[in-house]
Amino acid sequence: MTDQLDYQVTVEELSALMKRTAGVHVDPITLRQQADDGFDAFGLDSLGLLGIVAELEKRYGLGLPEQAERCKTPADFLALVNGALKTGV
Amino acid sequence: MTRRRVAVTGIGVVAPGGIGVPQFWGLLSDGRTATRRISLFDPAGLRSQIAAECDFEPLEHGLDLATVQRSDRYVQFALVAAAEAVRDADLDMAREDPWRAGATLGTAVGGTTRLEHDYVLVSERGSRWDVDARRAEPHLERAFTPATLSSAVAEEFGVRGPVQTVSTGCTSGLDAVGYAYHAVAEGRVDVCLAGAADSPISPITMACFDAIKATSPNNDDPAHASRPFDADRNGFVMGEGAAVLVLEDLEHARARGAHVYCEISGYATFGNAYHMTGLTKEGLEMARAIDTALDMAELDGSAIDYVNAHGSGTQQNDRHETAAVKRSLGEHAYATPMSSIKSMVGHSLGAIGSIELAACVLAMHHQVVPPTANYTTPDPECDLDYVPREARERTLRHVLSVGSGFGGFQSAVVLSGCEGGLR
Amino acid sequence: MSGPQRSGRPARDGSRRAVVTGLGVVSPHGIGAEAHWKGVADGTSSLGPVTREGCAHLPLKVAGEVHGFDAAETVEGRYLVQTDRFTHFALTATELALEDARFGRADVESPFSVGVVTAAGSGGGEFGQRELQNLWGQGSRYVGPYQSIAWFYAASTGQISIRNDFKGPCGVVAADEAGGLDALAHAALAVRGGTDTVVCGATEAPLAPYSIVCQLGYPELSAAGEPDRAYRPFTEAACGFAPAEGGAVLLVEEERAAVERGADVRATIAGHAATFTGPSRWAESREGLARAVQGALAEAGCRPEEVDVVFADALGVPEADRAEALALADALGAHARRVPVTAPKTGTGRAYCAAPVLDVATAVLAMEHGLIPPTPHVFDVCHDLDLVTGRARPAEPRTALVLGRGLMGSNAALVVRKDGTAPRTA
Repeated sequence: MTDQLDYQVTVEELSALMKRTAGVHVDPITLRQQADDGFDAFGLDSLGLLGIVAELEKRYGLGLPEQAERCKTPADFLALVNGALKTGV
Repeated sequence: MTRRRVAVTGIGVVAPGGIGVPQFWGLLSDGRTATRRISLFDPAGLRSQIAAECDFEPLEHGLDLATVQRSDRYVQFALVAAAEAVRDADLDMAREDPWRAGATLGTAVGGTTRLEHDYVLVSERGSRWDVDARRAEPHLERAFTPATLSSAVAEEFGVRGPVQTVSTGCTSGLDAVGYAYHAVAEGRVDVCLAGAADSPISPITMACFDAIKATSPNNDDPAHASRPFDADRNGFVMGEGAAVLVLEDLEHARARGAHVYCEISGYATFGNAYHMTGLTKEGLEMARAIDTALDMAELDGSAIDYVNAHGSGTQQNDRHETAAVKRSLGEHAYATPMSSIKSMVGHSLGAIGSIELAACVLAMHHQVVPPTANYTTPDPECDLDYVPREARERTLRHVLSVGSGFGGFQSAVVLSGCEGGLR
Repeated sequence: MSGPQRSGRPARDGSRRAVVTGLGVVSPHGIGAEAHWKGVADGTSSLGPVTREGCAHLPLKVAGEVHGFDAAETVEGRYLVQTDRFTHFALTATELALEDARFGRADVESPFSVGVVTAAGSGGGEFGQRELQNLWGQGSRYVGPYQSIAWFYAASTGQISIRNDFKGPCGVVAADEAGGLDALAHAALAVRGGTDTVVCGATEAPLAPYSIVCQLGYPELSAAGEPDRAYRPFTEAACGFAPAEGGAVLLVEEERAAVERGADVRATIAGHAATFTGPSRWAESREGLARAVQGALAEAGCRPEEVDVVFADALGVPEADRAEALALADALGAHARRVPVTAPKTGTGRAYCAAPVLDVATAVLAMEHGLIPPTPHVFDVCHDLDLVTGRARPAEPRTALVLGRGLMGSNAALVVRKDGTAPRTA
């Protein structure tokens, strides 16, 4: 996970969202360490990820690309989401 | 325990594109679609704004005002379909032992449309959790429990035997007929009204499928939005409707001189224990349901002449189902037409399984396979004969109908022609 | 529901019996069969004011709530966020039933040998109300991804199947009260048809504000304000029923499979029958219920005199109570006046579909404890019945008849027998 300094959505926030919207508890440290593991390894399924995408879309008032909900790992997801937020796509 | 043979002697259908069996079969055999922009409410703001709606005027279809007032739309559908089925079967309930007659109706979401309507009133458009009971309209309790569905049908036709509402998500319509099949086969009833109904085209149900992107967003071209098995498919199109079959002990049907369309010869259901909405690529559990239903029918997979697919038009479903059918039917799958009528009448959740069984009975009756409308671009992962766009004449002795539902339900029903070559 | 499933055991040879090996109870009396039984045997009442958020102003004043329930003690968070309270109850009750039966992973011969059947009367009403509020208060984008799987009636069966990897025949009876017994009949049918094990039961959570508003239309719902007066069936003061939440899940197994794995056979599901006589036409339920009793006894191969205890439907509506008393007389003859009848649900309230399943669990416990529990709040019985009131009555019941009638018109009867009393017939 590179260039995280300018991330709008941090690992901490993703951890909190996973807990709140999907009931999946993974502390930020573990999530950062295992950011390249599959979401399924943490017990987060496709509906859970859809819920997180919807939360972020509401929070930032824009639509995220369709690929966001298909990301397999936290690292991919954060990279894609933050890239989209940066460019405003 | 000797199992009795179970005959289908009557059919009734309320489906998008026209009310009644002739209109329904006309739509299917012509390969027309009944999908359009939603008119039942203003869908602006939704991701999917299209559906297959019924043009349904309950009073014109024989219901009286009091019945209409106390019955939700899905119950009205069921009552109209049941009346047609009973007429078609030439079944005089006054001459039947009411305690030997049953009713088994399926629904996935029951009275949610009415529940939402009154919710808006009592919550003042979602502004309060501590809702105001005084704003509720009469008969709301009948929307609260889906038991109302089978109760209303049983009341209307004087049924006094076992009455059940089955709710296994989108396999409800197959399972309701399956449960009724068991009740007749095991001798608990001689006659059973079996079917399903749903009227899910309401903001909450459209919104909840929006949230998981299960429905098609092809709002610009509703007529071609439902594209089962096509490479460009992007979700299902919501539908509504009902179908009711009259199931009867075969000997009972023969004794009263009834016309027998076909027999229900096998039924099975399993859970996939995988995911509430997700499906595996392999389709093992659906294949097992097919295999078990075939065993009950004492048939080999190679005996199947037509597969009526679940074919919802989501990416995962159509792959899953193709894999399951290939697993069960082997090489024979490639030589067997397999179509999805959801391309024409949409996906009416719990109702569709019974509507599809009605289509199977009619297909056997006419010896015509209904097509998959809108199918133009093959998907390498869906490589069977999906009967593109045009109905096809074919000898149909044994027909298989399959379904998958939220909750992991995987069901299969086998229908067999009654005269000649059967078992 | 079932078929000759490929589990390697003989199917439909008439020798497969469905037995109960585990009880999972989440009741207003407490969590777990033991806590429930204590409340039932002591004749205590767990009826009280409706305290769920947003309900205090509503005209329903008395109900049986499940207090002190924390689903998170047994069920992982990811299952809890995507399900309603009725499924929280179901997942917890399932876990308790599996523990009670000592049925572990190693006992699962194949995932396809374990099915799941639940009955549901109204689904996930509280979850549904929250999402309706999101939709109408804020907009369609505020509806979450779990609404599509939490509100509908099949939620509990699906989640039980997924959480435990049970792939056998899965079913849902969406029913009125009698449906709880129909679900058990489905489970027994599946077992006789070749499935070794079925997780079966019903749980309900109808005490959310909008759900209560929906129930206010039932003329049978009690409007009484005091817990000791709200639900008094078979008395002159009968004024309707108090609703409840919670329920029970039973582990139903094929007898030989249960014995082979060393499980205790607690009771046999011996017979069931159901009829329909129309919603709120209680006088007519007399014939329907009597026929259901006769059918269930016939299937069980059980004579009326062999019934040792009746768990009454006990609706608490004078006309319905009279019909039930007469139905027992019609079906059991002179034995109807001798057989002890009880309605422990007056101490918990009626949890719709779950009410008769809870009664079946209570019946199994009563047969094990040699004690017929009393009917709380009921003293002055005005029907020709030996209703057990006041204190539990010592007895040695070996055959229990459980009755259920539903507000939508169904009547059902189920016979459960202690091991060794039922003939080996299907």
